[in-house]
Amino acid sequence: MSLTGWIKKSFPIDDEAMAEMSSEPIPNHLKKWWWALGGTPAYMFIVQLVTGFMLIFYYVPDPNQAYESVKHISEGVSFGWLIRGVHRWSANIMIASLILHMMRVFFTKSYRAPRELNWMFGVIIFVVMLVFGFTGYSLVYEQMSYWAMQVGTEIAGATPVIGPWLASFLKGGDMIGQNTLTRFYAFHVMILPVVSMMLIAVHVYLIRTLGVTDLRFKGEERDDRKTFPFWPDHAMTELIMVSLIMLFLLVLVLVFPPHLGEMADPNNTPLHIKPEWYFYPVFRWLKITNMTWGVIGPMIFLVLLFFWPFVDSFFEKLFPKKDVAFWIGVIGALTITAFLVWETLAVH
Amino acid sequence: MGLRFITPRKVEKQYRKIFAMNLEDIAINETKPFFDLRGRELVLVRTGEKEVKAISTTCTHLGCKVHWEADKNIFFCPCHNGIFNPDGAVLDGPPPRPLDTYRVQVEGKVVYLYSETSES
Repeated sequence: MSLTGWIKKSFPIDDEAMAEMSSEPIPNHLKKWWWALGGTPAYMFIVQLVTGFMLIFYYVPDPNQAYESVKHISEGVSFGWLIRGVHRWSANIMIASLILHMMRVFFTKSYRAPRELNWMFGVIIFVVMLVFGFTGYSLVYEQMSYWAMQVGTEIAGATPVIGPWLASFLKGGDMIGQNTLTRFYAFHVMILPVVSMMLIAVHVYLIRTLGVTDLRFKGEERDDRKTFPFWPDHAMTELIMVSLIMLFLLVLVLVFPPHLGEMADPNNTPLHIKPEWYFYPVFRWLKITNMTWGVIGPMIFLVLLFFWPFVDSFFEKLFPKKDVAFWIGVIGALTITAFLVWETLAVH
Repeated sequence: MGLRFITPRKVEKQYRKIFAMNLEDIAINETKPFFDLRGRELVLVRTGEKEVKAISTTCTHLGCKVHWEADKNIFFCPCHNGIFNPDGAVLDGPPPRPLDTYRVQVEGKVVYLYSETSES
């Protein structure tokens, strides 16, 4: 028996089912590359997994050694700077592309029936990715890491009802220390990757079963709508997109290699302290509100985002002739952008 | 059982009286940094002939460390712009309460501080 024959016998694959899966009809608008960016966060996630597993070989989750081990990765290990740089930049691109993807879904109203549940899974994935980013840069144990852990766990502690338990659970005690780092490490390299993979699998499954939203543009009649097969047409577009994104990622790493700030000092918060850019809006919000609203505000935002398909449907019934969702989206996006720019430009 | 396993055990706080400084170490209205038994920084402020305050430098908003700005006579928190007066009272920003204080005892010319022990 030939090797191929043996493999086919040992690992039977239904060729017809495979052909059906790969010939999924794709709406015509996805022929344009700017509509084919939805997969970017997923590609970046795979890059994260691969580089993350490599970093585990050298990283030491101990407050006395974490910083030095990251320094060793960056300066002493062959291509360490590259692997760490790719890990760091792909995280940033992943979150940026997730935000853009969610905005696209929001403004094209692709969350509407029957895709409400998939939107909700998307919001959960977004939150998980933010936690991924937060636990990731905390592990570096530089000044920004330490104070991010401090602020982040205190915010968790201010959550109504479960706050004190949550803060203690995250810190592994009443102060940031060894237990905190171990817990963040467990989340970052074990719990969150598994949870993310399951969520992404469900998200993709629902996209495949419900299909991609067929967008109609001005001047397009209903009958004009055409589809094209996933394989090989769309797969080729995706391949080109992945290649270009990888190139962009490499350029970013080469031009802006990952830096390392000062080592964490639990008794000195630097005068100029900021989290990663994706937390800027919340960081600014915390500066201009009191403790209660500082914590509850972002929670309300997330709950609203999570249930948005139903909120939108409510507005649709209330104001059938007005595009309320669009204007709420515009105001929301502008406000978040304004907070982001404000925090970027402000010294304090 | 699983939830109890991942929840850290709550240990009752224990305090120990420790030597902080001699009164003549600082003049009235002067401050001196100090570290408690858990390694946390605080500031000793001599507020009178035989009066000393021990103020925690941990911001009561989200736990960052405040900076003493001598020229403005304030404690400033760089995380979310909280501002406290030299007594630790909130002057501006989001902190919900004044800076925490430690129990201090002046015996003769010696200042003692009650510090949480590292076991707690």
